[in-house]
Amino acid sequence: MSAANTNNRETVRLGAPWEKTGNTSWTQCPECDDWFHIGPGLLDRPEVAMHCPSCHHEFNQTDAKRLVTSG
Amino acid sequence: MSVSHQITALQYALEKAGRRPIVVVDEPLMADGTTSDIPVVTNLTASRAVVARSLGINDHQTAAPIYAQRTGTQITPETISNDTAPVQEIVIEGDDVDLTRLPALTQHVTDPGPYLTAAHATTYDPDTKTDNTAIQRCWIKSKRRMSYFPYPSSHNNRNMRKFWARGEDCPVVFWIGHHPAVLMGTQAKLNYPESHWGACGGLLGEPLRVTPSRTFGDLIMVPADAEIVIEGYVPRDVLEADGPFGEYTGYSGPQVAAPVVNVTSITMRKGALYHDYGSGLTDMLVPDNMTMEGKVYGLCKQVAPSVTNVHVPAQGRRFHGYIQVENPGPGEVRDALMAALSYRRLKMAIAVDKDIDIFDDSEMMFALATRVQWSRDSFTVDGLSGSLLDPSTPAGSKTLSKIGIDASLPLPGRPGAPPPVPPRSIVPQDAMDNAAKILSGTDMSGWPTL
Repeated sequence: MSAANTNNRETVRLGAPWEKTGNTSWTQCPECDDWFHIGPGLLDRPEVAMHCPSCHHEFNQTDAKRLVTSG
Repeated sequence: MSVSHQITALQYALEKAGRRPIVVVDEPLMADGTTSDIPVVTNLTASRAVVARSLGINDHQTAAPIYAQRTGTQITPETISNDTAPVQEIVIEGDDVDLTRLPALTQHVTDPGPYLTAAHATTYDPDTKTDNTAIQRCWIKSKRRMSYFPYPSSHNNRNMRKFWARGEDCPVVFWIGHHPAVLMGTQAKLNYPESHWGACGGLLGEPLRVTPSRTFGDLIMVPADAEIVIEGYVPRDVLEADGPFGEYTGYSGPQVAAPVVNVTSITMRKGALYHDYGSGLTDMLVPDNMTMEGKVYGLCKQVAPSVTNVHVPAQGRRFHGYIQVENPGPGEVRDALMAALSYRRLKMAIAVDKDIDIFDDSEMMFALATRVQWSRDSFTVDGLSGSLLDPSTPAGSKTLSKIGIDASLPLPGRPGAPPPVPPRSIVPQDAMDNAAKILSGTDMSGWPTL
């Protein structure tokens, strides 16, 4: 596994088929720094704001402090 | 006791202690510090024995074939008028609607707020006007607005997309609280489009009483004897963040883009109870898994008449199925395993003989340990449909890898002969009965815990 960085986005690249990999993407709230996990359907819709479950701040993907996607 | 985490914590504590009582919380403490006059009922279905008894079945281990038979014998619902429907004794409409007064629970640390966990969503197909019902979660966001997550492959999602394709908002009602037979009848796996009301009646043993909804009239009927009904529209093409949400897998499901509901009315009984399912706890797994047992039994029985029973154990979430066979013909065990694996949620099916208790995991381990050569007796199939909430699913995958394991004994060399393996070590039954008698008369309370 390796990671590619673009601004706030980091993609964990998959390794060989026999290597165990995860399936979950995480984002970090720009307001409270809390991390929460997001599904691929939400990632595919940048027009839908993410909602921090801790502080209830809503933000777009481009405004996330960090976005670590799997695959 | 607070609706924020405390009631769910009690359920976890009870489960750890091996206790499964029904929990009723009068005057639950709301997140804003006030109390609600609507009691919370949860853990209603945590016990297989209680669920079976509510269906009129004495032994929960015999429920699978009975569920398959009863949901296949549909009984037409009975329509009653609005003014005699208990669920419409209290009607709240328009600006008086306030979802935040319902004692909805915030269950897990990662949940963003209170969720309806036992809301049965009923929509209808705009082409045929046939209704469909499924349990689908809702996050209460404000007085008249909540998110709604109709799983992408669900019939409700299909109905909603049809309305949206016509440029219309989708009508929907959510009903909460009913007899367990009705709750489990809505889990019957039906064709599209096909109403669940008949299967609910089949399981109840009498017609389900329904009444026209306040907002949609005859287009969406609601169970007249439910506790609470929420009616509204799913506005076209509006998606908002929903979740994370603690799921049946025992993990928190990710935040998703989900539709929302603009609520038009809430109706309820006088003295209504609010029903909650402990998500990921046996409270939710037991009724779902027992309905799965009926469905998987029906699938297997079609191709393998030797199948006698099915168990979907809560400790395997919804992913493991145990199939019991008696005197299978050549190839029949694998036929049964293939049929079981075609059921979307199962990802492991194990077949055993009649001498193995499929409701006892130590017996299942015994069969796996002594009756399986892995390269000969197991097979994997990739690319089958499954639950993508399974945390082991590879990133980007839309299908799963599944395994079938034949842990049955080899067939006898000739009909009527014992199977060609050593017999199990057993003690005579009269000696076992005597041992049980001795133990039942022995006070062991002072014995040290070792």
